[in-house]
Amino acid sequence: MAHVVLKDLVKAYGGFKAVNDVSLTVNDGEFVALVGPSGCGKTTTLNLVAGLIPVTSGDIVIGDRVVNDLDPKDRDIAMVFQNYALYPQKSVYKNLAFPLQMRRLPREEIDRKVKEAARVLDMTHLLERKPRELSGGQQQRVALGRALVRDPAVFLMDEPLSNLDAKLRVQMRSEIKRFHQDLKATIIYVTHDQLEAVTMADKMAVMNGGNLQQYDSPAQVFAHPVNMFVASFIGSPAMSLIPLTASTANGSTVLTGAEGWSLELSPHNARKVARATTKKVVLGARHSTIKLHKSAVPGAIPAKAYTVEPTGDVTFVQALLSGAIVNISVSPNVAVAPDEQIWLEFDQERTHLFDGETEMALKAD
Amino acid sequence: MSTIAETASRAQTRRRVRVDGWRWGGRIFLVFMLLYTAVPMIWMLITSIKSGFAATQFPPQWWPDEPTLASYQKLLDPQNSVGQDFLRFFWNSLFVSTATTILSVIVAVPAAYAFSRFSFPGRNFLFFTVLLRNMFPAVIFLVPLFILMRAIGLVNTHGSLILTYLTFGLPLAIWLLKGFYDNIPVQLEQAARIDGATRFQAFILIVMPLSTPGIIATAIYSFIGAWNEYIYAYTFLSKNEQLTLPVGIQRFFSENTTDFPGLMAASFMMSVPVVVLFLVLQRYFVRALTEGAVKH
Repeated sequence: MAHVVLKDLVKAYGGFKAVNDVSLTVNDGEFVALVGPSGCGKTTTLNLVAGLIPVTSGDIVIGDRVVNDLDPKDRDIAMVFQNYALYPQKSVYKNLAFPLQMRRLPREEIDRKVKEAARVLDMTHLLERKPRELSGGQQQRVALGRALVRDPAVFLMDEPLSNLDAKLRVQMRSEIKRFHQDLKATIIYVTHDQLEAVTMADKMAVMNGGNLQQYDSPAQVFAHPVNMFVASFIGSPAMSLIPLTASTANGSTVLTGAEGWSLELSPHNARKVARATTKKVVLGARHSTIKLHKSAVPGAIPAKAYTVEPTGDVTFVQALLSGAIVNISVSPNVAVAPDEQIWLEFDQERTHLFDGETEMALKAD
Repeated sequence: MSTIAETASRAQTRRRVRVDGWRWGGRIFLVFMLLYTAVPMIWMLITSIKSGFAATQFPPQWWPDEPTLASYQKLLDPQNSVGQDFLRFFWNSLFVSTATTILSVIVAVPAAYAFSRFSFPGRNFLFFTVLLRNMFPAVIFLVPLFILMRAIGLVNTHGSLILTYLTFGLPLAIWLLKGFYDNIPVQLEQAARIDGATRFQAFILIVMPLSTPGIIATAIYSFIGAWNEYIYAYTFLSKNEQLTLPVGIQRFFSENTTDFPGLMAASFMMSVPVVVLFLVLQRYFVRALTEGAVKH
């Protein structure tokens, strides 16, 4: 196992920077998820680490070697592809044996390692089959087996679960997590599904437009998103972002909505707003931090229910507020009808405030 | 019970009638096409086992009164001059066609792979200029190529034909193979390279086996093109001992008396290698070799 360091990594196609100045360190044995929407540069970053495409500038370090100019085969990595990329003409056994044959291991050792990997992944009975004779989940397992049979320094995984059906995905998610815990493997895992990143990774690197937005533990990213993009990308349903106008009078700071209502801020939040570059401030609140009242309460803001989505455990209510849709979760025994008048109370300890101009999170100090 | 069965059978009948109109139309069309292609072949075969007199009779003998293999014996007998000529033409054709096939596969495989996988300046331009040769009728190049061949001293050699057939066959071979390589997921090579293969090894060990149907199709295409070609062989070669089958057969039988059974027997034997090639290799066409490689 080894650590991986990306230093000022850039990949440009003509004038377009697919990966723009990304720096991060993956510690030995760490599970890092690269997460972001389509086209954010996460897969490109992974391919750069794998050596499948050349870097434009910057350095990639695996272990203690700068690997920029090394062939993929010399980087001591293994990769699991989104579409598995199993060799269709080879049996499962030969698929697993291929990386070992390429390293000219003795035949007995290859046989031992292949059988060991097959045992770990519970597919000994599949060894003689061809990939086309396997189910999607089994193919996925073979792809994983081909990566782990070789005991590489770093595992790279490119959306390995996105082609599985929902049930299998949840199951394989915990299997990969278990696999990481057992092997203490260094894993870089690309996904567009923030839930996968949050549930599996030690750290997550949120990317957008080729730029690294935030690199921290899922809990930190969830609790302290650095900007509006991260805030809206992580968490489901997404954090509600309500554009408001800040004003100060008689020593107290007030946020005013488009409908004319106003919200007096706590001193802590007022200090944050004081640091904004503009009067435009965006209030961010997750669904669980907003309280829904069916009658007027001091400090609560009037709104109209827009849609109501019961999910069984919890009911999500959407309301329109200052031009934004606000998500609120309520207990399923609270009956709310669309277009019903409701009042929303924000938990100021847990709300987020963003600069309306720079979209960066506002901090108190 | 009975009413249900009746209704069902009536519904079935009605449905069958509607579908059958099209199906029978299709069948009749296919039978017509089959006759169109098969009857001349059958007539060739029947004529080849007639005697010289029976072949010219009118009304024709639909089945010869005295079937004989004399024409085949004559053509395959190295003792007489007819047999010597025919066998020599046959080997000449086999040599030219095989050489063309091997060379065209050797050139087309890496060329198609490069067009499919690498992006380099002028790629599209090159790719379309490859087709330029096929945009003109072959005869247009007859005289220029003859002058060129004379200048480099290749007239009256089989090399002139092999070179010419390559320029005919290669463009389409490259286009055909590029299609195959485009359909092989690039991730397979990437996986192989990560698994420890060099780019070349990934190509030889993973991609080449998967493109076997394409390579075989290309090979058959080149072989048949070279095997049947007449005009260039007729122009570039003048010595009797160098002639290929199409020219040889034509010249031989127009110089001698018109020996129809002999001509038909020679034509039949000329089509044998092509048919055998198809029968042996056809199963590779049908197999979808990349099935199961990737999940879509």
